[in-house]
Amino acid sequence: MSEQASVGIRFHVAIRRSKLLRAGAALLVLVGWPLVIRGNYLVYIATLVCLYAIGAMSLHLILRMGQVSLGHAAFMGLGGYTSAVLVTAADLPFVLGLFAGGAVAGMLAGLIGPILLRLKGVYFVLVTFTLGEIVRLVFVEWISVTGGSSGIYQIPAPAPLFLDLTAYYYLALAAAMLVGLFCNRLLSSDIGRAMQAMRESESLAEANGIPILRIKVVMFVVAAVLVGFQGSLEAHFIRYISPLSYDFSESLRFLVMNVIGGLNSLAGPILGALFLVVLPEMLRGWVEIQWVLYGIALILIIRYVPGGLVDFAARILAFLMAPRQVGVS
Amino acid sequence: MTRILEIAGLSKSFGALKAVDDISFHVEEGEIVGLIGPNGAGKTTAISLISGAKRPDAGGVVFRGEPVTNLPPHRLVRKGLVRTFQATNVYQSMSVRENVYCGAFPAVYRDFWSAALATPSRRELQHGTWRRTDRILAQLGLAAQADLPASQLPYGGQKTLGVAIALASEPRLMMLDEPAAGLSAEEVDHVAEVIRAVNRDGVSVLVVDHNMRMISALCHRIIVLHHGALLTEGAPQQVTSDPRVIEAYLGKRHEPIGG
Amino acid sequence: MFTVPVLSQIVLNGFVLAAIYTLVALGFTLIFGIMRIINFAHGEFAMLGGFLVFFMLQVANMPFFVALPLASFAVAGGGLVLEALVYRPFYQKELQGMIATIGLSTVIVYSAVLLFGSHQRSIPASFTAIFTIGPVILPADRLAVLTVAAIALAAFYVFITFTRIGLAMRVVAQDLEIAEAQGINARATYRAAFFVATFLAALAGGLLAQLYSLSPFMGTLPLVKSFIVVILGGLGSIPGAAAGGLVLGMFESFVSTFYGLSVAQFASLGAVIVLLVLRPEGLLGRAER
Repeated sequence: MSEQASVGIRFHVAIRRSKLLRAGAALLVLVGWPLVIRGNYLVYIATLVCLYAIGAMSLHLILRMGQVSLGHAAFMGLGGYTSAVLVTAADLPFVLGLFAGGAVAGMLAGLIGPILLRLKGVYFVLVTFTLGEIVRLVFVEWISVTGGSSGIYQIPAPAPLFLDLTAYYYLALAAAMLVGLFCNRLLSSDIGRAMQAMRESESLAEANGIPILRIKVVMFVVAAVLVGFQGSLEAHFIRYISPLSYDFSESLRFLVMNVIGGLNSLAGPILGALFLVVLPEMLRGWVEIQWVLYGIALILIIRYVPGGLVDFAARILAFLMAPRQVGVS
Repeated sequence: MTRILEIAGLSKSFGALKAVDDISFHVEEGEIVGLIGPNGAGKTTAISLISGAKRPDAGGVVFRGEPVTNLPPHRLVRKGLVRTFQATNVYQSMSVRENVYCGAFPAVYRDFWSAALATPSRRELQHGTWRRTDRILAQLGLAAQADLPASQLPYGGQKTLGVAIALASEPRLMMLDEPAAGLSAEEVDHVAEVIRAVNRDGVSVLVVDHNMRMISALCHRIIVLHHGALLTEGAPQQVTSDPRVIEAYLGKRHEPIGG
Repeated sequence: MFTVPVLSQIVLNGFVLAAIYTLVALGFTLIFGIMRIINFAHGEFAMLGGFLVFFMLQVANMPFFVALPLASFAVAGGGLVLEALVYRPFYQKELQGMIATIGLSTVIVYSAVLLFGSHQRSIPASFTAIFTIGPVILPADRLAVLTVAAIALAAFYVFITFTRIGLAMRVVAQDLEIAEAQGINARATYRAAFFVATFLAALAGGLLAQLYSLSPFMGTLPLVKSFIVVILGGLGSIPGAAAGGLVLGMFESFVSTFYGLSVAQFASLGAVIVLLVLRPEGLLGRAER
């Protein structure tokens, strides 16, 4: 074997090993840092990042099919309210509330999905926006169940253990990692490839035997269930919810996370969640300026780097790591 | 010989425009049938109606003895009825290999969740499909470009890739929409050779095109559409010297078309 | 309940709402019909119109009927700058353009918050008189709003039907390729359409500010109403925007008086979903190719 070939093989083995090492190191950092850096505030923010990553990743599934939903927060609200009501009013355990929340969100998605997903492009955007508004109105008007505009107070933590911020962080982290692994599996599977085909050309995908409506509906339901879980987890974390927690600006947030982070890879929504949760907290006194900057970032990114920050980072990396030709062999 | 495809009384209007007007024809198993006619004759619409991409206003389609009118395209693909497109016939962002793999989707899709979660039981299925993908690429002369993004293929290559994608679903009947459009004479010959080879393997073909040289040499039978209606059908020699066909294409001239 | 004073109020309010909704929706549908962009920042232009009118009244002491058109021109003029910077790269690219306008909307709203503060304020009322004709009560401010809106809508109708630019806009909205083949300058048409659309939105904002109140966040309501109106009337259809505005305005006025505001909101949103599913092109629109 030539020297170059054996170097090549060693290189690949090294990459494999380094990937595992990096994953292990990352896991260690994610799990271990709260034990080293004591800071309740940081743990609080980290928990929020994990929770929002779940919702952002779930919207990502829909976006990868080429559909834009502006009503995603409605499903989060269904999860949150279902869980909160069942636990506070009916005294059910948290786990039941969590799964009921996901189930209710999933059921609505399953019911209207087959109808709404026949619409394409801007019509789908408008109808999901309308859906979000209707659900929010239900939260506001159905006072006997949801408490109306005042919301629901004193939602209990899942268990006394989870009154500790660090414990909740681990719960949120575990949930986010599970969701991330699941979504990654989905997106790298044959279904993920079918979704890419659908996004690029529906007529061609259909002509290749891909059951478009079926895949769209199932993904829509999956996304609803996942963000419903976020709703429930978040409700029992912040311990107060109101219709304002699930309005249009929340749906927009998920979209912005995806666009800024990157629409073409699962790392996008994760990065987006990190940015859009951490930055507002860090720049506490500068809320308005932040939003102005987000708006500008949105415009610039969608214009020049449609692949988002992930794409941007990849390009920079590629540029930096490009082999430099020094002399000619 | 059995009829693999039977069209009866197919019609489709778009507003005031009658794109397809009560056409009936058939394709025998193992045949290569050409579908020709001047622009606007309704050929592509007819293909869309047969493949399920559009719903006919009237009429029926029978495929391998089974009525399939109004079924969505992906169901028809499973039954072995496949079409290609004039434009957007490949996935630009994917590699050539992945493009063909997408065409084989009906083979790898058993049910949603086993496909989505890539369970170990599917590994064999996937491997087999990748192998078949590579075989098709080799058969069509695209093996060298397998890992290139489809957007980097020359126009002729993309057309061939479109045929490869259609082949990947193991069709019984392939409907090709203008496979020779925009190709050089060499490339046209290559496409014709591919179609013949595919036909030898047992696939029936319905091909729409304007290239009369290729159609006459390739097809067992030709069907002529004009203004959405059936004008005539028959063997290539017959059709190309039929004065009505010549008139439809060229106005009143007395030369057989295709030179 | 069905007394003349009550009914006349409802009808008057219905017309007022219809007029304002139509003004905003017309611009929105113009931008979608011609440039194929869902303008999420449309409500913000209304908001800017309202604020500019406020400052002209407050600071420069102008009469309302002078401030209103001036403010609208100013906003529309400023809009042209934004058109070149933000909108132009996205024409005919629906979803990307939508996201860009979402970004723009955020920039405008929060810049307004930085400049003006986030609180609501009311602008000095220019019309406090109340006329009565028999049992019918006609507040002067609503009459003024109706008059201005009627003039603007009439002018727009003349413009879009009888002027060359108006015709160009209608042709481009129908079919861009044919329009360019006819020698129509698409770029100039886009700019003109954007100017008109923004002018109407700013006008509506000034009227809204007169009737209700002013805040950087007030743009959301006109935007949502625009959605509803154009879905009712058909995305991209100009007569549809007028028809949809009338239907929505009257409907809201009647239903909210007798059944309350929330029922009216539910009903109109519900109607939107049903329409989008059954007939996405609206009552008067063309089916998407």
